[in-house]
Amino acid sequence: MKTKKLLWIISIIIIASFILAACAPAAEEPAAEEPAAEEPAEGETITVLFPKHEADFKNAFDARIREFEAETGITVNLIQGDWESVANRVIPELATGGSAFDVVEFDNGWVAEWCGAGWATSLNDYMEPGYTDDMIPGLVDLFTCPDGEVYGLVWNNDTRFFYYNADYLAEAGFDAPPATWDELIEQSLAAKEQGVVEYGHAPYWIQEWALANELHFYTYVFGGSLVDDQGCITMNTDPKTLAAVEFMIETLESGAYDPAGLTYNQVDAQDVFLKGSTLFNPQGIAGLLTYTEDPTISNVVGQVEIGLVPTTASGSSAALTLPEAYAIPVNSQHKEAAWKFIEYMTSKETNIKLAKEIGILPIWVDLFSEPELVSLYPFWADFQAQLPTARGLSVITWYNDFVDITNAELHKALSGRQTAQEALDNAAAQLSNFNCVP
Amino acid sequence: MKTIKKFFIDNEHVLGWAMSGPALIAILAIVLVPMIQSIGQSFQNLDLARPALNAFIGLENYANLLKDSRYTSSLVSTFRFSVISVIFELILGVSIAVVLNKKFVGRGFVRGLMILPWAMPSIVNAAMWKWIYNANFGALNALLSQLGIIEQYQIWLSDPFWATVLVILANVWKETPFTVLMVLSALQTIPEEVKEAARVDGSSAWNTFIKITIPLIAPTLMIVSILQFLWGFQTFELITVVTGGGPFSTTELVAIRIYQNTFRSLRFGYGSAMAYLTALILVIPLVIYARSTYKRMVNY
Amino acid sequence: MKKKKIILRILLYFVVILIVVWTITPYLWLIISSISYKIDLTTVPLKWIPRRLTLENYQGLFFHRGESSFSADVFVDSLKNSAIVSISTMLLSMPVGVLAAYASTRLKFKGNSVVMITSLVAQLIPPIILVIPLFVILRQFNLIDKTIGLILVHISIALPLIIWLMRGYFATIPYDLEDAARIDGCSRLGALVRIILPLTGPGLVSVMIFAFIASWNEYLYAYVLTRSEARTVPVIIGEFSTKLGLDYLQIAAAGVLASLPPVILALIFQKFIIKGLTGGAVK
Repeated sequence: MKTKKLLWIISIIIIASFILAACAPAAEEPAAEEPAAEEPAEGETITVLFPKHEADFKNAFDARIREFEAETGITVNLIQGDWESVANRVIPELATGGSAFDVVEFDNGWVAEWCGAGWATSLNDYMEPGYTDDMIPGLVDLFTCPDGEVYGLVWNNDTRFFYYNADYLAEAGFDAPPATWDELIEQSLAAKEQGVVEYGHAPYWIQEWALANELHFYTYVFGGSLVDDQGCITMNTDPKTLAAVEFMIETLESGAYDPAGLTYNQVDAQDVFLKGSTLFNPQGIAGLLTYTEDPTISNVVGQVEIGLVPTTASGSSAALTLPEAYAIPVNSQHKEAAWKFIEYMTSKETNIKLAKEIGILPIWVDLFSEPELVSLYPFWADFQAQLPTARGLSVITWYNDFVDITNAELHKALSGRQTAQEALDNAAAQLSNFNCVP
Repeated sequence: MKTIKKFFIDNEHVLGWAMSGPALIAILAIVLVPMIQSIGQSFQNLDLARPALNAFIGLENYANLLKDSRYTSSLVSTFRFSVISVIFELILGVSIAVVLNKKFVGRGFVRGLMILPWAMPSIVNAAMWKWIYNANFGALNALLSQLGIIEQYQIWLSDPFWATVLVILANVWKETPFTVLMVLSALQTIPEEVKEAARVDGSSAWNTFIKITIPLIAPTLMIVSILQFLWGFQTFELITVVTGGGPFSTTELVAIRIYQNTFRSLRFGYGSAMAYLTALILVIPLVIYARSTYKRMVNY
Repeated sequence: MKKKKIILRILLYFVVILIVVWTITPYLWLIISSISYKIDLTTVPLKWIPRRLTLENYQGLFFHRGESSFSADVFVDSLKNSAIVSISTMLLSMPVGVLAAYASTRLKFKGNSVVMITSLVAQLIPPIILVIPLFVILRQFNLIDKTIGLILVHISIALPLIIWLMRGYFATIPYDLEDAARIDGCSRLGALVRIILPLTGPGLVSVMIFAFIASWNEYLYAYVLTRSEARTVPVIIGEFSTKLGLDYLQIAAAGVLASLPPVILALIFQKFIIKGLTGGAVK
C-alpha cells in the first residue's frame, strides 16, 4: 500500500520535473527583436567581463574605466579575473542565452565558434563606416565573421616578442641575438657549456591550452599549416609542419631547451627566465619588460632586450598574434552603452594612455610612429617589421577539440614516446570527424 | 498485542517520512531537475556551438564513449588514483586517529591542527604542491638534495610514474584529516565497558584493536572510504593545476574529460553521457563492497 | 614494567611529533612563501628562511594598489560571503540531515532505502555535469550571484554527506540502549534527543565541522553561480592569476588566511569531539 503511494509521489515529481525541464529552455529564448537603438540613458549600468591584463599591476585599465564613467555617466559593473574564470563565466551564459553581460571578453580562439552560434552582436551597426580602416588590418580580420561584419574590437594586442638576456649572451661570447633557430640552438649550447645559464630556453609545454599556441608558433615560423581555409586538416601532410614539430623535439634532445619545460606553464617559464636560468624567452606579453625591472621577482634587471623572432635556415619567419577583443553579447539589454564603452576603451587616446602606463601595444597603425611612444619603446620598430607576417590561431569551430587532441599527441612526442610524424598522424586520425568542417 | 505492534510499525512509517521528508525535498529540489535534464541530454547530440545538429540519438553517445580511448584510459587512471588514495587515507587516518585518542600533553591542540590540510581550499593546495614539485626551484628537490637523497634536481612531473605518485601524495595529504576526524569521533562512541571486558579477558592491545575496535568502527570506515573513493572521481583542480593531465594524459582523470567536453567543447550531450556511464560503472563495485562489509558487520 | 611504560610514552610523543610534522610542514612552507619575495624562493640552494621578508602579499589582499581599483575590498567581501554561506549551510543542514539519518538508520519504514539511494546518487553524479542546468534554473529564479542561491545549493550538497556520515555513527549505537529508554516511556524523538544524540555527540560535532568545511571550500558551484557580489573565498583565490597562470604568492597569502577559520572552529569544538556533548553522563 505504502509503496504504491510512494511510487505515485515519485512519478508525479518526475513528471512535474519533466514539464519543468521542458519549459526551461523555452523561457530562455532570446528576445527575438533587438531593442531599437535606445539612447544610453544617464545612470545606465553595464556589466563588463574581461580578464585582468597580465601587465596591469598599476590598475591602468581600472583607471580608464573610471574616466569613462565620469565622462558618460554610465556606470560600469566590472568583473575581472583570470582568463580561465572569465571563459567559464562567459561561455555558459552565452550558450544558455543569458543577458547578464553587456561587454565580454572575445578571445581569438573563439571567433569561429561564436560566428557559427551567433552569440555576438555585429559592431557594424554601431560604427561609422570606415571606422576600422586605420587599425592593424590583421586584428580586424581576425574578429570578422564569414558574413563580413566585425564582431569584436581588440583590447589586448598580444603579439609574440623575442626576449633575450643580452648580458648573458655577451658573457657567452655573442654580440647579437640569434638570427636563425639553428643559431639559437648553437648559442644555447655554447652558453650552457660555459656555465652561463642552465638552458637556452625553458619552454612552457605542460599539457594545457598554451601548448597549442606553441604548436601554431613553430608551425608558422617554419611556414607550415595545421588546417586550411576550408577547415581541412593539413598538419599531417604538410612537410613544413613536420619540420616544425621535429624541431621542437630536437630543441629538447639537443639539450638547448630545458626538458622541465614539459611541466611548465607560462608563469613557470617566465620565473625561470627572470631568475636567470635561461637565455631566451619568446613570449607574448608586452609587459614582460616591466617585470624584468622589478628586483623582487627578477635577477636580470637591466639585462633583457627584445629582438626579432629568428628565422629558419631558409629565411622563413613569422610571428604569432593572440589578440583578445571586446564583444557585445546578442542578448545584452544595453547595447548602445556597451558600444560606447568599447569605443572609449579602444580609442586612440586610451591606447596611448595604456601604452604609456603599462606598455600595451596599440591597435591603431599610426600610433607605432607616435614620437613620444617610440622614444619610450624603441623596440616597437621591430614589432612593426613583424606585423606583415603576424598570424592568428587556426580559425575553426572545433578549435577546442583541436587543442585537446593535438596537445595530448604533441606532449607524447615531446616526451620522446613517439615521433613527430606519429603525433601528427594520430592527432589527424582522432580529429577525422571534423576534417573539412570550417 | 497485534494491534500494538501494528500501531508501532505505522507510527514508524509516519515518523520516518516526517523526519526524512525535509532532507529529501531539499536534496531533490536542487539535484533532481538538473539530473533529469542532464540524463535526457545524455541521449542527445547536444552541441551548444552547433545547435543545428542537435537531435535525439539514443544510446549513440554511450556507444561512442566505449570507443573513446581518452575516456577509457582516464577511467583507469581515476580508479588507480582513487583506490591508492583511499588505501593510504585509511591506513594513515586510522593510525593517526588511534594515536590522537591516547592521552598526551597538547592533545586538543594537535586534534584541532590536524584538520589544517583539509581546511585548505583545494585550489591553494594545488598551487602549493605545484610550487613544491617545481623542477627548477621546488622545495621537494631542495629538501631531497640537502638530505643527500638525490644529487641533481629532478623533473618529477615529466615522469608518468612520479607524476602519479606525487598527485596522489598531494591528495592523500589533503584528504586524510577527514578520515582522522571521523574515525576519532567513532572511537569515542565505543562504550568503555566493551574495552574493559576485552582487557579483563587478557587479550593483547593489538588483538583488542583488530577484534573489538575495528568491527565497532567499521560502519564509519566503510562510509568514509566510499566517500573518499567517490571524491577521487571528482578531483579536478589538483590535476589541472599540478600536471594539466600530463605527462601525455597519464594523470588525466575523468572529471577533466567531462570538463573538457562540456565547458570547453560545449558537447553537453556527450559530457553528460560520460558522467552517467562513469556513475553506472561506480555503482557496481560500491554496492558489492557496501553489501559485503555490511554483512560482515551484522555477522559480527 | 615502569621502564616499558616510559619507553612507550617516549614513543607516543615521537609519533605525535611525526604526525604534526607531516601535517604542518607544507603549510609552514605556504606561510613562508606568503611572506617572501618570489626571487628568494627560487634560489638554489634554497634557504628555508629567506633573508628578507615582506607583508606585501597580505597588503595586496586588504589595501588598494595603484591609483584606483575595482578589485580592492573583494577579498574582505568574499570572506564575509563565505562566512554567511558556510555558517548558514551548517546551521540549516545539520538538523534536517540528522533527522533523516536517524530515520533511515533506526526506523523500520519503507522510505529508508529512498533516503539512502537519494543521498548515494546525489554523490555519484559529478557536480560538473549538474552545474550548467542548475545555473539555468537559478537564473530563472533570479538567484545567480546571490548568497541565498549558493546557500540552497550548498545545503543540497551537504545533506547527503551528513546523512551518510551520521548513519555511520547511529549504526554504532547498540539498539538495547534505545529500547531501554523506550521502555522507560520515552517517545522515539525523546529517545533520539536524550539518548542517541548525546551518545553520538563526538560524531555530531565532527559532521558539523565537516558541513562547514564542505561549504567553505566548495569551488565549482560557487564559481559558476556567482559573478561579483556573492563570490566566496575559493572563487576569489582562483582568480588570483593572469592569462599566464596562477599567481602563487598571492594565492599563498590568501590560502594561509582562508585555512584558518575551519581550524579555529575545530579548535573550539574539539573538546566536544573528545568528551561528547554530555561529557559521559550516559555511562
